[in-house]
This record gives sequence, structure tokens and C-alpha cells, in this order.
Amino acid sequence: MIKYHPQQELLSLHIKGELPLSMSLAISAHAELCGTCQHKLNLMTASESADVFDNHVEPNISVDLDSKMSFLLAQMMQNTLDELDAKPAAPVNEGVTEVTVKDQSYPLPRAFRHQINAQWQGIGKVSRLRLNTGEEHARASLLHIAPQGEIPEHTHKGSELTLLLAGEFSDEYNTYRPGDFMLLDENHQHSPKTMTGCLCYTIVDAPLYFTKGFSKLLNPIGELLY
Amino acid sequence: MENFQSQTAQNRYDKARLAKNNGAIQLSNKNELDAEQLAELMLKVANLRCKVSFAKLFNHFGPKISAFGNQRLHQQGLAMDLVQETMTRVWTKAHLYSEDKAAVSTWVFTVMRNQCFDMLRKVQHNKEDSFGDDIWPLFESDDAESNEDDFKLSGTLLRHVDELPPLQRQIVQGIYMQEMTQQELADKLDIPIGTVKSRLRLGLEKLKGFMEKHYD
Repeated sequence: MIKYHPQQELLSLHIKGELPLSMSLAISAHAELCGTCQHKLNLMTASESADVFDNHVEPNISVDLDSKMSFLLAQMMQNTLDELDAKPAAPVNEGVTEVTVKDQSYPLPRAFRHQINAQWQGIGKVSRLRLNTGEEHARASLLHIAPQGEIPEHTHKGSELTLLLAGEFSDEYNTYRPGDFMLLDENHQHSPKTMTGCLCYTIVDAPLYFTKGFSKLLNPIGELLY
Repeated sequence: MENFQSQTAQNRYDKARLAKNNGAIQLSNKNELDAEQLAELMLKVANLRCKVSFAKLFNHFGPKISAFGNQRLHQQGLAMDLVQETMTRVWTKAHLYSEDKAAVSTWVFTVMRNQCFDMLRKVQHNKEDSFGDDIWPLFESDDAESNEDDFKLSGTLLRHVDELPPLQRQIVQGIYMQEMTQQELADKLDIPIGTVKSRLRLGLEKLKGFMEKHYD
């Protein structure tokens, strides 16, 4: 059973398309692993589309808008639609459906299929593949921890999202399974460990600051780990 | 044709439709169509490539999409782009619509929202990408297999460590692989701790450079 789900508010912003790419990817991937949230999202989308399309008082259609609409429609009716049908279907780019790290392959949720443009990098048991979401303040990555691996204890400046995609890991708070969606804020310290290895999707909205012993030295590349 | 579902959202949706239908009678708005009429038009577009049906869908959804675009995109002209892009997809993807899975307005909303997401990314981040349909699928994909996985694994950080100049490599390996402290390293190598620090800093900067250049 998945124990940790995105809050209602995040789901609601997600179906409106109002979250940044990094977080939209997380919600979509969670829903692919969680039937309950997928079902909720479906219902919320139906309700939202009714709000947007049906419940609104018909907007005042200005003469200007009306003429623009007529022009566009005429254009589509006369040319565009036929051109679209005449055009051979563009080859579908399926993107990446699976990642391999440390000789282990994992299927990827479909939201990530066009996000994998970099290579795995890492030290020891921890590997990271950065996603280029184009967001200034958020770093989104796939994170792989090999069996028996752990991330040194750290806090976050700003918050950190971890979505477990495969395998298991534990920290001071709990043990997690695929689909678990954890948002931690700067007040939480934790040191995730895994027995059998895991693949996560993570977002940090500021560099990590390691808080324990020698790994303080890791700071310059701590930023790169996630 | 009515399907009875006990879901709250569905009820709300039916109520909304009912209210709108009542309103529509008073206003006798010629563009307002109910869910069944919309579904019929979609089927004609999908199966018969019927342009007249498309025009009816356009007149129904066009002003609504424009209103949504004005609210979201805050830029002159973009709302009409959203109308055009959305209605183009309604035409080209009509065959993907399934009456069993969603009401037409829910499906068109999905197409519009996805398109709007991509347009916003373009405005805000100057990114020409289209991820909307990956995040919110328009239909259940039945193309599970794709063997063209040309993803390659190479260049771990450890290999980059080997590319460092020997003096820097010695320090980085000592600290990260043998887990020694800076003082232990300084003692072992018989060099001042300041030298350890500066070699470490140089080494890490170089590593960062190796790793970061893959992302630019």
C-alpha cells in the first residue's frame, strides 16, 4: 500500500496545469503508480472542465473577437483541415521508456519519457541523472541508490520532494515503497538508506547542505548529487 | 444513453449541465450544445472527417477556449493561438476520443490544458517543448513496447576522478574513497592542510566542470 500521497491542493493545481514542470512530472508519475490518485484526478478533471466550459456565464463576445473567430474558422475550413489530413503522420517519438543504471533496468513512468537527456553521474553507490526542466530554483533528478547504499544525513534549504519509483528505502521516519510521495521541509533531517536498492525522482528547490562529519566536505558536489 | 454514476464529480457535472441547459433555453444560445450532441459531433469528425460538425464544435468551444487563454496566458494574441492549436488537435486527434472514457468537454479541456501548459513553458522559459501530453495522456496508450532505447550509460564521476591531475586526484580519492579527514591527509602526505584544502577545491571545481558540461 502506498502510504504517502500528494495533498489535495497539489492534485487540484495539477489538473489545472498550474504546477511547474518538475512538480507536474512528480504528480503524473505518482498517479501512474497509484490507482486511487489517478481516479481522483479523473473525477477532478471532469469537474474542472465543467467549471471552465459549462458553468461559466457565456463570455461577452466582442465584435473584435467574433470576427477573429470567424476568420480563423474560415481559414481552417478552407485550407488547414485538408492540409492536416494530407500531411503524412509524423513519426511518433516514444522517447525513453526504461533507464539502466549499475546494470539494473527500470521501467520509467510515461511522464519522463522525453525528459532523459543526460547521463548517470555519481560517487560510489549513489547515482544521479539530472533532468533539465529549465526551472531556476528547482533541481529535478532521477536518483539511484545501489543496494546497501545511503545518503549522508542532511537537511534541506527549502523543501525536498522524493517520489520512490522502484525498490525500497528507509529513513528515520519510515520505510517507503514505490509510489510513496514525500515532501520534506527544511526542518527535517534524514539519511535515507536502502537494503535492496532504489530508484527515486527528486526535486530540491535549493542546494543540499550535508550535516554530518566528513560529508560536509561534499558540499560542493552535494549540490550535484540530487 | 444516460449512464448513472454515483461519483460526486459526475453528479456535479450533471447538475452543471442541467443548470446550463435551463439557462440555454432562456437564452436560446445557438452555440450551446449538450453532452450527447457534442459526442455525436465528435464521432462525425472522427469517422467521417465532417467539417460541418467540426465548425459546430469550433463555435461551441472557441469562445470558451479564448476566455480561458486570456485568463492564463496574459499576452495579446496568445489566446487565439490557443484556440487554433487546440482546435487543430481536436481535428487531428479526434480518432483518439472515446465516449466511454470522458465527456467531450473533458477531453477538449485536456487537449487545451496540455497545449496551454506547453505555451506557458514557451513564454516563461523560452522552451520549445511539448510535454503536456506526456504528463496528462489523452488516451490509454497501447504501445507498451519500444525497443529503440538508445540510452547509453557512461562517464561516471569515478572515471572523471581518474582524469584529474595526480596531486588533486590524490586528495579527492583520499577524502571521498578512503574517507580520510583533511588533517589525516595532510599528515600522511606531509603537506600543509592549506594545500590539501586548495587542491581539494581545485579538484572539485574540475569535477563539477566535467559533470556540468553535460547539462548545458
